[in-house]
Amino acid sequence: MTQPHSTRGAWLIVLASLITIAICVYDYYTPETGLIGSGGLIFVAGAAVLMLLASLAMAKVPNRPAWVQTFLVVSILLDIIGTAVCGYFLESPVIMSAQALALLGWIINVISNATERSVETDEVEDED
Amino acid sequence: MKTKMKTAALAALGAAAAAAIYLSPFGATAQNSMMMMAGVSDQVWDAFGGNQQAQKYSTATQITPENVKDLKRAWSIHTGDVSSGERSTTWGATPLFVNDTVYVGTPWYRIFAVEPDTGKTKWVYAAGGADGPPEGQGLKSRGVAYWAAALPEAGKPCQKMVYVGTQLGELHGVDADTGKKCAGFGNNGVVNVDAWSTKNKKFKLGLIQPPAVYKDTLILGWAGLDWVYKTENPGTVFGIDARTGALKWTFNIIPPDMENVTGTANVWASISVDPETGLAFLPTSSPSPNYYGGDRLKEMPYATATVAVKAETGEVVWSRQLVHHDIWDVDTNSAPTLLDIKKDGQVIPALIQATKMGYHFVLNRNTGEPVWPIEERPYPASDVPGEVAAKTQPYVPYPEPTIPDTTPPVSKFADIVSFGQCSRWKARLRDEGRYTPPSIRGSISWPATLGGVEWGGGAVDPTTNTYVVNSNRVPQIYTLVPRADADKLYGKNARGPGGYSAQEGSAYGFKLENFLNMWGMPCWVPPYGTLHSYDMNTGKQLWTKPFGQVQKWGFYMPESWGSITIGAPVITKSGLIFIGASMDSRVRAIDLKSGEVLWKHIVDAPAVSQPAVYTYKGKQYVVFAVGGNGILTPRLADQLVAFSL
Repeated sequence: MTQPHSTRGAWLIVLASLITIAICVYDYYTPETGLIGSGGLIFVAGAAVLMLLASLAMAKVPNRPAWVQTFLVVSILLDIIGTAVCGYFLESPVIMSAQALALLGWIINVISNATERSVETDEVEDED
Repeated sequence: MKTKMKTAALAALGAAAAAAIYLSPFGATAQNSMMMMAGVSDQVWDAFGGNQQAQKYSTATQITPENVKDLKRAWSIHTGDVSSGERSTTWGATPLFVNDTVYVGTPWYRIFAVEPDTGKTKWVYAAGGADGPPEGQGLKSRGVAYWAAALPEAGKPCQKMVYVGTQLGELHGVDADTGKKCAGFGNNGVVNVDAWSTKNKKFKLGLIQPPAVYKDTLILGWAGLDWVYKTENPGTVFGIDARTGALKWTFNIIPPDMENVTGTANVWASISVDPETGLAFLPTSSPSPNYYGGDRLKEMPYATATVAVKAETGEVVWSRQLVHHDIWDVDTNSAPTLLDIKKDGQVIPALIQATKMGYHFVLNRNTGEPVWPIEERPYPASDVPGEVAAKTQPYVPYPEPTIPDTTPPVSKFADIVSFGQCSRWKARLRDEGRYTPPSIRGSISWPATLGGVEWGGGAVDPTTNTYVVNSNRVPQIYTLVPRADADKLYGKNARGPGGYSAQEGSAYGFKLENFLNMWGMPCWVPPYGTLHSYDMNTGKQLWTKPFGQVQKWGFYMPESWGSITIGAPVITKSGLIFIGASMDSRVRAIDLKSGEVLWKHIVDAPAVSQPAVYTYKGKQYVVFAVGGNGILTPRLADQLVAFSL
């Protein structure tokens, strides 16, 4: 059964994903970054693409089943953590900053969602 | 702290998923003397080791530990001479700065002459021969040599020459001002050195390493393939007239009565020269085949040794063998560094011979006698039919070796993530520490052919005798394969998968394997590479630190792990060490007193060369040839990059 979910913060995650993909492409082809042609960047870029798709779903499809919402929230969080760790070992402050941005978006979304669900519950109770 | 964090984070990840008018203590080389007399103030770097004494020291003081953080890229050029695959390039050239020009030789055997302050190309000379040697050992170069006439004839060309060798055994001599061939050198500018090698010829002489220069004599060694054949080109060093290319003398490392059972023991590394005494110091390598000596049991005292010869005649003055009956391929791989040691109120004319075993043989360079005692210690016997390992080997307790005597323990982390592969593998191997002989079941060679100290050697500040050297800690697996099995497994191929080489003509083929788990992780505990500082007046180690960073798939491992290190440091009078030599494609400036990294900069690939330091028009530059080396990473490059304030 679908329910309306918050889209707040999702666009921040979209933005963070795009930044991550862009920096991966730049680093992959630029010798001065020390990461040219490295497999780690392909891995991070792949994770960022998945994060982009998940966050777009979060932003564009507010009415979704609860299990989809749970899946998106958990998978995006794992993606943020994994990509941040990779960014740390790639010594890429841009990737790590982008993950901080994504995490901010994720927190906004989770809090907004909880708040909206709480308001909806109150409204239902009022109708009783 | 950062390292600890990174180590901790890694665990979490695993759980989840030369010198200028440099004033050497021995006096200057001919060209330096001329420049000093002419009042030229720019500091030069005119030989592979910074100077012919291989000190890798600059008197430059503009870049200091205080301001090095402001070091910026001054210029960068790409030569275009880079390739992978069969003709993969390995570029370990030291750029030279002399004659107001930076000269560098490339692995496609071209000389680039560039302006020292802009990097703008003045001229390029192409020696040819980059189509690849027939043996397919890749394209390698460690640069060029420079010579200047002591009394130049006005108006005549080729009074200053630059030399580049090729893998096809040709030595080219060109005018240092114009880049044109010197017609009077050899046959129209080319000496066919390979033609001088006639016995047991299995390959063309690879003139990778530029010759040493003493007055009007070039001293030239060569590289070969000593792991492929039993009997092959015997190691010979050539003394060549710098003006004409005429052969002045030869020095044969293999005794004549052994030439039909072995070969090589050649000098493939750089050579140093004492300009005061005219002695050239030759670091010789192991005889062929590298890993089985059953056919060459007779002593060959000049093999894997340091040999002092008269630079103008090739006559041997003294020699000291560093490894007896070498069956580990622990070639003497760098030029001895010359210095004057102040000990017990006396000045000892000395040299430091760094080795793959992590030893520093500190010898009186006039006599070969050790400055500090060298022991002969017993080591394990071989269990291979036909082989007789030397009963004893030299052991150098002081200065403290760069590596410990026993093989490092298995890394628990590498072992766990490979489900016990590392420990199971090690349990099957013969492992008795230093000089464990190669065996049929497989032996851990410690240290192995990757060293210890690699071909750059160390650097010394001759005013304080502070000596700095980088060193590997890399065990490798040596396995002899009985001929019948080898032929069955690999056919008659000279080389094969899994690190196989035929040692053709001997009773055993050979497999060289890296001790890595299924994920490519080292099976032994870090550090993998270290940097050391010694006071060579006392022999005391001042500090040692992990050096460099491992980089795999782009991920940087903790600094405490260090990195396999190929290349060499240089020292400046201002108290800085400049060094590339790390897997992570970074060049670094390090505080000479403390060993702390003060500055680092990403370049296109690992700089497996030693940098040059020079001052031009009042500005100090540090320039690196950045070429990479397949031993470290697949990342190769063709960058020549200079840094200044």
